Amino acid sequence: MDSFWMKILGFVITPLVAFAVGVTYGGIVRKITARIQNRVGPPIYQNLLDITKLYSKKTAVNHGVMQHLGPVFAITASVTSLFFVPVLRDSSFWFNLSFDGDLIFLLYMMVFGSLGMALGAGQTGNPNSAIGVSRGLALMVGYEIPFVLSLVALMIQFQTTSIHGLLAVQDTFSSWIIFQSPFATIAGILAFLGMMHYAPFDVPFAPAEVASGPASEFGGKYLALMMTSGSIFTFVKLVLFVNIYFGGAEDLLTLILKTFILYMIPVLTGIVNPRYRTEQAIQFFWKWPTVFGIIAILIVVL
Amino acid sequence: MVEIMISIPVIFVTIFVGAILTYLIKLIMPKVEAYFALLVSAATSYMAFALPKTESIYKFNLGSFNLMWGNNEYSHLFAMLVAVLGFFVVLYSMDFMAGKVNLGFYYFNLLVSIGSMLGIVYSQDFLSLFIFWEIMTWSSFMLVIYAQDEKFSVGIKYFVFSAIGAYLLLTALVILYTNSGSFLLEDNINNFIYLSSQNQILVIIFLIIGFGVKAAMMPFHVWAPDAYKAAPSSFTALFSGALSKMGIFGIGLVLFKFAIQNTDYFTYFQFALAWLGGITALLSTFYAVFQTDAKKLLAYSSIGQLGYIIVGLAVGTPLSIMSALLLTILHGAFKAMLFMSAGAVYYRTGLLDMNETRGLIRKMPLTFLTALMGIITVAGVPPLGGFVSKWMLYEALIQSNYYFLVIIIFVASTAAFLYLYRFIFSLFLGQEEKEFENVKEVPIKMIIPMLLLAGFTLAVGVVPGFVLEQISKAMGYLGIQTPNWENSVLFSNWENSSVNLMSVATSIGILFVLGAIFLTIKNYRSTRYVTTKDIHTSGEVPTENENLTFAVNFYQPFERSLGSVIKPSIDRIFNLIGKNIESAADYLRYIYTGNGQTYAMYVILFFVVLILFADLMFGFKF
Amino acid sequence: MEFSPVHYIAVPLFAAFLIPLVGKVSKELVKLIPGLVLLYLSYGSIMLFPKGMENPIIEIIAGFKPPFGIALYYGATAAFLVTLVTLLGFVIWLYSYKFIIREPIEKYYMLFMLLITGATGIMLTGDIFNLFVFLEITAIASYSLTAFLRDKDSAEAAFKYLLIGSFSSAFFLLTVMILYTYTGTLNLADLASKADMIPANAKGFALLLVIVGMGIEAEIFPLNGWAPDAYSQAPSPIGAVFAGIVVKAAVYAFIRIIFLFFKTPEVLHFIVIIGLITLIIAEMAALRQHQIKRMLAFSSLGQMGLVILALGIGTTESTSAALFQMFNHAVIKAMLFFAAGYLVFHSGSKLIDSVTGLGYDKPITSFFFSLGALAIIGLPPFSGFWSKLNVLISIASEGEILIIVLILAASVVEAVYYLRIIGKLYTRKEIDSNPRRTPISGLLAMGILAIVIIVIGIYPDVLTQWLQPAAENLLNSEEYIQTGLF
Repeated sequence: MDSFWMKILGFVITPLVAFAVGVTYGGIVRKITARIQNRVGPPIYQNLLDITKLYSKKTAVNHGVMQHLGPVFAITASVTSLFFVPVLRDSSFWFNLSFDGDLIFLLYMMVFGSLGMALGAGQTGNPNSAIGVSRGLALMVGYEIPFVLSLVALMIQFQTTSIHGLLAVQDTFSSWIIFQSPFATIAGILAFLGMMHYAPFDVPFAPAEVASGPASEFGGKYLALMMTSGSIFTFVKLVLFVNIYFGGAEDLLTLILKTFILYMIPVLTGIVNPRYRTEQAIQFFWKWPTVFGIIAILIVVL
Repeated sequence: MVEIMISIPVIFVTIFVGAILTYLIKLIMPKVEAYFALLVSAATSYMAFALPKTESIYKFNLGSFNLMWGNNEYSHLFAMLVAVLGFFVVLYSMDFMAGKVNLGFYYFNLLVSIGSMLGIVYSQDFLSLFIFWEIMTWSSFMLVIYAQDEKFSVGIKYFVFSAIGAYLLLTALVILYTNSGSFLLEDNINNFIYLSSQNQILVIIFLIIGFGVKAAMMPFHVWAPDAYKAAPSSFTALFSGALSKMGIFGIGLVLFKFAIQNTDYFTYFQFALAWLGGITALLSTFYAVFQTDAKKLLAYSSIGQLGYIIVGLAVGTPLSIMSALLLTILHGAFKAMLFMSAGAVYYRTGLLDMNETRGLIRKMPLTFLTALMGIITVAGVPPLGGFVSKWMLYEALIQSNYYFLVIIIFVASTAAFLYLYRFIFSLFLGQEEKEFENVKEVPIKMIIPMLLLAGFTLAVGVVPGFVLEQISKAMGYLGIQTPNWENSVLFSNWENSSVNLMSVATSIGILFVLGAIFLTIKNYRSTRYVTTKDIHTSGEVPTENENLTFAVNFYQPFERSLGSVIKPSIDRIFNLIGKNIESAADYLRYIYTGNGQTYAMYVILFFVVLILFADLMFGFKF
Repeated sequence: MEFSPVHYIAVPLFAAFLIPLVGKVSKELVKLIPGLVLLYLSYGSIMLFPKGMENPIIEIIAGFKPPFGIALYYGATAAFLVTLVTLLGFVIWLYSYKFIIREPIEKYYMLFMLLITGATGIMLTGDIFNLFVFLEITAIASYSLTAFLRDKDSAEAAFKYLLIGSFSSAFFLLTVMILYTYTGTLNLADLASKADMIPANAKGFALLLVIVGMGIEAEIFPLNGWAPDAYSQAPSPIGAVFAGIVVKAAVYAFIRIIFLFFKTPEVLHFIVIIGLITLIIAEMAALRQHQIKRMLAFSSLGQMGLVILALGIGTTESTSAALFQMFNHAVIKAMLFFAAGYLVFHSGSKLIDSVTGLGYDKPITSFFFSLGALAIIGLPPFSGFWSKLNVLISIASEGEILIIVLILAASVVEAVYYLRIIGKLYTRKEIDSNPRRTPISGLLAMGILAIVIIVIGIYPDVLTQWLQPAAENLLNSEEYIQTGLF
């Protein structure tokens, strides 16, 4: 009985932690960006303030049922994905459902939210939203190729499709996959850049072009839920990558350190780069990242 | 009460005689024929369900050939698909086709095609299989040309490709017959090893192409988009959902009953077929992305999904075959759902051009729901059924050394999101159009099949056990061991690689409900419900007649980045072949000049040639 | 009076002479006489058929025993074909009843009767010179009927036919002379038994003469140039007679002679190849025809190519398949010519394009045409499928996969041009509704054939049981010689 309640507690705590970390990272990013651009920047907790404000807003604008459900899809997907990722390596408290699904499942689960968002954005009737979705989906096909190449290379190399399996491998060899399979890691990290939608791959949400794209008609409670979901989702992606390529983490501190460093890669790339056009972005992914991915597989096979 | 014994001949008599009666009833009492057709298909479907799986064997002689009909687990799987979809399509047709011309003709061919599909799966010999195959071809051909007004070339294209496929099939069959002296499936399976190796390969290739044409396998897919588009949507649902599966049925038989006996080359067949399927999946997905016609989009999607199925069968591990068979069933459901919802939109608006349809979600919420569940299933996103088959396919592919194929499949299914979103967005989302102000939800008889099928996809996604059980038995018939599965847990061969669908569904379900409740009750009163025209476009509000929905060239950047990959060059190759044959035929006019003197000259020349080459040809000298 | 094989020749011949006389009295009677004659012959056929299937009936004319007298040989093959001819002839008469409204009706029916006489004569005769005579009767009646419409085109077609046909007569007469010179007999059975007396080079030359002479009538490539013109210019029922009766008789005679005298592997091989070439070229040529009946003519050439090919294989299976194919082709092509005749009549033009939309205006005729088209392509459950299947199986058992592929490739071409017409028929187009309707007799004729096509398609055993003895009879020269000479 005790373990049952512990499990329930895990289901409650994990999203809260994920949210906290995600939001804080968001704030830090804004700060760093500002500093590099020679501005003072908002405080680190600014994102939290924003979300709180949105939640407490008394009004919301609703264009229809799909807009209403879009953020629900998003939060469902982020939290469910979170449940299926082992947050810490050896602590069963943080495992939640992670034994009930593997990496391939997770890849698909993560899409669920985007799909809901895209549908919600489509419902609003704002052309910018649809343009944003169209760009986002196209971009996804772009970065999916190196990412999958990288993952398949790992799966073949270590004969597992489970995240626990990959963690175990890194444990037994006591060496991270980045060292065991560098090409796969490079391909994965490059795909990660696209996945995080920071410049130069921020074309779906480009504020100056499509007015934040899919989110442009969302406000109040809807935007608040979407931002919550976004924060959790950022955390999910970071933990997933840390687990796959960087040996996971045994305690929260290591996890935060690792994820933070990982997070800085797209952020810093974003700050110093202009925006790609959609087709440029796609073609970027189909060049070097794909080559790295193929090399990774060939190394494994040969 | 007279107890009618349920047997295969009774089923055939019911449906084929029923089809003829339907046609006659239309002549005598119009408006009744749809109900009669429904009755016939209901009776047939019921009997197909109730048919005993093993004992029901019916042997007879026809034209000095031994023939046999019978049911088995593998047949039963496909028969279920046909029976359910057939009934639903007839039900859907009742309103969808109401008021169209030549309804007797429509229902006749519809029922005949359902009957012939059942015939194919119940055939235990190649001859009746081929006969039913051809009946299926012409009845579906009739429905393809049914709604044709101007261009007939679509029908011809369909028929020519079907004929090529069927004749390859026939060639293989007669080779088999001369080997075993019988058309019975069993005899041919047992005697296959006595065929010379060269003929074995020939037979397998012919059979696979012959069946593959119906399954729209590349490069023989070019008929499919046009034919699917040309047929009425109600029939297209059956066409794509069940009829194309007959090709899969055949390929499954050929691979695991015949090709597997040729141990030297089996791996090559597998390899070639798997890649063919993979390329089919990838290219047709790309083509689908750039369609502007909803039905053509779905047609390409259908080709792509059949590509997945072929990959699954070809890879040939228990897991991959299970995924292929599951996808076969599921594709029947979700493609029928999608074609039916496209048909529903067409029924109300008369449009299928995705540049023109928009904003119907409020008018047709249930159709939208069906379409939504359909696309989620196609996309393979949990918790609906598509995920189950996709997951199994990936696991199987990764484990059986098809490294690059798995990438292709992954890319194809990612790219599938593009067209799926395009489909649902263009039909249902975006700004509402004034033109569609009075559009209503479609009648209940169209809604019921759509929602039932949608429910089925959800059920498969959560507790696939009830389908997997039948699939396992079918695989048993093919002689393949069944992979592990539990009612709602999937396993791959690798440790730790499993998915507990129940916990997935629970997690999604609870969170979704919580989220939805939260969003709904929070600020319930102060939420403003506005129209889709009320958007922020820098202060400008679109007027009533102005529609800002983004539809034309939806994926232009993607198109640019793909470059020339997506040009449908195969179509052009076939067109070129066709043209060349026709112009070659034109040259024959120089032979048949219509001039008597020329003909007389031919006679003399022929005689001279005979004399000159008599030695060579007949072996004598003068 | 008991029915005897002589009646097949004597009754229509007598009717042919009677018709012009009756024509002076009553036109209606002229129309009825051929029907009655054919009905009688059909009845007789059905009576005689089982006997013929069991043992050949030899009918001696003018009292001399073979080999000196003139004998009729009613064996299983002849029984099969003659029955087909009489039954089909009756249906064709039924169709002609309302279709032939142009004068001179009595000439039409007289020539029609002569055609029947000639065709049955060719099939029945046991005497090579009589064969020549019957061929000539058939040919002359055919020339005249080709020119029946008396316009420029039909005259031209008839002239071409006459020109090429005279080659045929000359070549065949030469054959007869050579054979007679060396053996001193004209009786086929006797000739065959004395075939060894003929020196090899003379025999070889005779073979070449037969191939050319009979090949013209059997419509093999490249000797069949006359056929499309004749088929398409003659009145539609005569097109059906050509496709269903005349060419069948010619092919039968051709193959009978080949089997009796020249049955060597090389010759059979040559026949297979020439049949294949005929098939492919004819189907290709049909693809680009603009006239519906001309297209049917080419299709007919192709079908006969298939028959000749199958006969050339020379096994029991292939021969019975060929006979089956002959039967089907006769029935189906007759139906297509019937339907085409009324389609041309209703649209007022021979061109394929002009039938556009007729499927809605003239549904029954169009339906029959479509049924025939599907049947001749070889789609189940129509009769054409079974014969094609049997032909393919018999070829496959000889291991000739390439030939099968080529035949089926030609079938794809065939499918294209037939479906093109079906498509045109059922393309919606605003056309002025034509008040003229297809008369009942025409529909009845087509209906009978349609029933035959469907019944045999669903239950081929009705027919297939008779094919085996017929094929054996055709193949077994020894038996022919023995029974023919007593």
